[in-house]
Amino acid sequence: MTERAPGRPEGFSPGRIVVDGRPLAFEPGDSVAVAMIRAKEVPAGGGTLCLAGDCGNCLAQVEGIAYARTCQTPARTGLRVVRHPADGLPSLPGVAAADPSANPPTLHFSLVRRVVDVAIVGGGRSGREAERDASRANDRSVLVLDANDGEEVAAVYPGPLLVARTRAGMLQVHAETVVIATGAAEIHPVCPGNDLAGLLTMGAAEALYAAGVQLPDAVALGTRPDGVPCAHLGGRLIRFEGAEGRVVAVVTANESTGAETRTPCSTVILGLGRAPRDLLARMAAAPEVTVVGAAAEDQALPPVPTDGIVCSCSGTRVADLEVAWDKGYANLELLKRATLAGLGTCQGGACLPHLRSWIAARQGEPPPPFTARPAARQITLGEAAADTFVDAFRRTPLHDEHVALGATMDRFGSWWRPWHYGDPIAEYWAVREAVSLGDVSTLGKLVASGPDVVEALERLFPCHVADIRPGRSRYALLLDERGHVMDDGMIVRETETRFVLSFTSSGAAYAAMWIRDWIERWGLRVHVLDRTMSLAAINVTGPLAGSLLKRAGLTDPPRFLGHLRANIAGVPCHVMRLSFTGEAAFELHHPIDRSVELWRGLLELGHDLGVRPHGLQALQGLRLEKGHVIVGMDTELDSTPRRLGMDWAVRMDKPWFVGQASLRRTAKVVDQRRLFGFTMAGAAPAEGSPIWSRGDIVGQVTGSWASPVLGHVVMLGWQRRAPFVDHVEIDGREAVLSPIPFYDPEGLRARA
Amino acid sequence: MLALERLRGIRVVADPAALEAARWVAGSLPVTVLRFAPDDAFALEAHRVEVRDEHAIVEDEIGYVGAWLLPSELADLVVPRLEWPLPVERPALAQGLVAGVPAKLWIGADGGALLITAAAFGEELAGRLR
Repeated sequence: MTERAPGRPEGFSPGRIVVDGRPLAFEPGDSVAVAMIRAKEVPAGGGTLCLAGDCGNCLAQVEGIAYARTCQTPARTGLRVVRHPADGLPSLPGVAAADPSANPPTLHFSLVRRVVDVAIVGGGRSGREAERDASRANDRSVLVLDANDGEEVAAVYPGPLLVARTRAGMLQVHAETVVIATGAAEIHPVCPGNDLAGLLTMGAAEALYAAGVQLPDAVALGTRPDGVPCAHLGGRLIRFEGAEGRVVAVVTANESTGAETRTPCSTVILGLGRAPRDLLARMAAAPEVTVVGAAAEDQALPPVPTDGIVCSCSGTRVADLEVAWDKGYANLELLKRATLAGLGTCQGGACLPHLRSWIAARQGEPPPPFTARPAARQITLGEAAADTFVDAFRRTPLHDEHVALGATMDRFGSWWRPWHYGDPIAEYWAVREAVSLGDVSTLGKLVASGPDVVEALERLFPCHVADIRPGRSRYALLLDERGHVMDDGMIVRETETRFVLSFTSSGAAYAAMWIRDWIERWGLRVHVLDRTMSLAAINVTGPLAGSLLKRAGLTDPPRFLGHLRANIAGVPCHVMRLSFTGEAAFELHHPIDRSVELWRGLLELGHDLGVRPHGLQALQGLRLEKGHVIVGMDTELDSTPRRLGMDWAVRMDKPWFVGQASLRRTAKVVDQRRLFGFTMAGAAPAEGSPIWSRGDIVGQVTGSWASPVLGHVVMLGWQRRAPFVDHVEIDGREAVLSPIPFYDPEGLRARA
Repeated sequence: MLALERLRGIRVVADPAALEAARWVAGSLPVTVLRFAPDDAFALEAHRVEVRDEHAIVEDEIGYVGAWLLPSELADLVVPRLEWPLPVERPALAQGLVAGVPAKLWIGADGGALLITAAAFGEELAGRLR
């Protein structure tokens, strides 16, 4: 007795696929569709089979993936096939999962990228000729993608870039030139009864015959199939007749007399002509893409369809076309949208010639084929996303320290950052009442040096720069030409000709580019080096921050907005005295390879002072109490200093700075928008909550925090309609316009 | 998983001509100068530099991690995850996304390469090159 392998169905044996739970034998070389036809089964509900991947009449669920072309899927032992339901849609993976809250299993799709000189799509005669031509040139790398080898090109993008599904995984090909040699597809019949099973194109019949599949009682219409035993009928196709979903007879009409003849049969083989298989060619209209062979040839359109299903993918009948046309959808693109013809699995592969023929009968000329867009072949979302990556998020050198301390990490401003360490309120109080550490390594840090550096910074920033003495620093906005706030940070002067500029975590990279571009444009002699990734920074903040740093070796701390270099806990630091939290704060900028040492040293030295780290959640509250704006969170793309209530950061008496002209112009008009501080009782409303006034939404909350030290909610939010009002409604409660800072408005604690 | 190790050296931003004529003082290991931009160089394993530009920014650079790759490792591990062709000249410095992560490749005359990324991206890149 042999054991049954886990998961294998009853009756399973090698050499069989499993169709709707039943084992079904296949021969070597069979596709799933051929194996099913060999077993006298139909792959799908019916309709003409082409077995060339051109239509949607053999679709089934294969290994859980719906809408798979079974004629293009090689049969292999144990392959699970489930036919789509006759009415309704196939189930999707994961929908029937036992735990609806669980993620569906992760599938990995490999992706190979190739760069070649010439990529040829199609391995037929014209494709091979193109390969020979391309190979004549020395040192030309040539790649042929042949659907018969399982290399299905799903898309051609500008570049050109080919995206293909292969049996080994997804393939992306960057090519200098692309040759489309996809040949021609066989015309499907459109007439009553064309949804019956037992209809084959000539090519399908020849393929089945070559595979040894018997085609009993076969009759052929049109071009006679090569070698396939069948009776050949003359005349014009009128309809198919069927019983229980299968064809039992074909009715033809004499071309001259119109007399109809009914011929009983079990299989009808249709040689009705060909149409260019040009979906990819139409997708890739670009000079680097050429189309050769039958794919480039105009072919005669089929007779005008008068009845039957014209688009089997969408079930569109000729009658549906007539209704839509009469309603005014009187061109190919509109007809496609109105009837869904051409929008299905085969993307018009089978129905497009008939649609053009039908329209030509009404307009005199066939319309050009409709637009082709990816994907030409069904690919799963997993395959489409194969080996693509989400944005890479950076980790500070303290990442593992945060995790070890139990931090909940999240992505902010392109970095992983600690949101909290389990108790954000305790972290908050550590800042307000004792001392706390914050990882601010993510802040942008630029060095600017050169004889023209003051001139450059005066032009770049709206504040005065020349009067910042070495050893001092100043808060600054960065504006664009329209006077909109792009970023903010500190200007820290080290020497007469050298500055350190800090920026926000999310805006630093753009700010660096911005500054370099302007300096280059002005031709000023200034060197710029971005040190963001090389320097870490720890913010030591709270009323006991000075005490902690004294223990760590900082005997002579800088005054507010001062800075100096010193060894802190043995680590060389650039110490900057500023404050975002509203308490005394010292930013310690230091080499990233010393960061863990400094962090641990400070935590150990400050243990009895109650030192603990704080995450972003506490920091958000701390800064809101001070009314400090976060660029990108509280600001919008067109926020001016005036709209933010930050005119104080702009010196219009300067000769010139980027954005000054715009600010001067806009200062003459009444502004309809303004960021305000609000307070209210109760719980903090969600950020983004609408701000109401007299029944209208007049703005939204950008930041809110139930302040432990103040005992009420503090918020920043926009009013978008002048005149601005003092009393508004947020979250169904009254909120009052309040001056900012909400906490320590004199700034005494930060300067302490 | 690819082991990316911290790279050490000197970073200099200076006038291109001065940078061209800079004299790099090595330690026990030979210096490899990576020219990130005409005015920006990272000299691996350099201990000191003499550069004739009084306003040059000269800093110890420890912000990058990297791994030396054999030609076969470059072909197997990195090239399939590039959306851009490798430069054909040797040696060459190429910069772009590797597996979606900002990185640089210094490719030596023998076809071996140094894969470089900012330390902040190190773990992410290593994880994606498995």
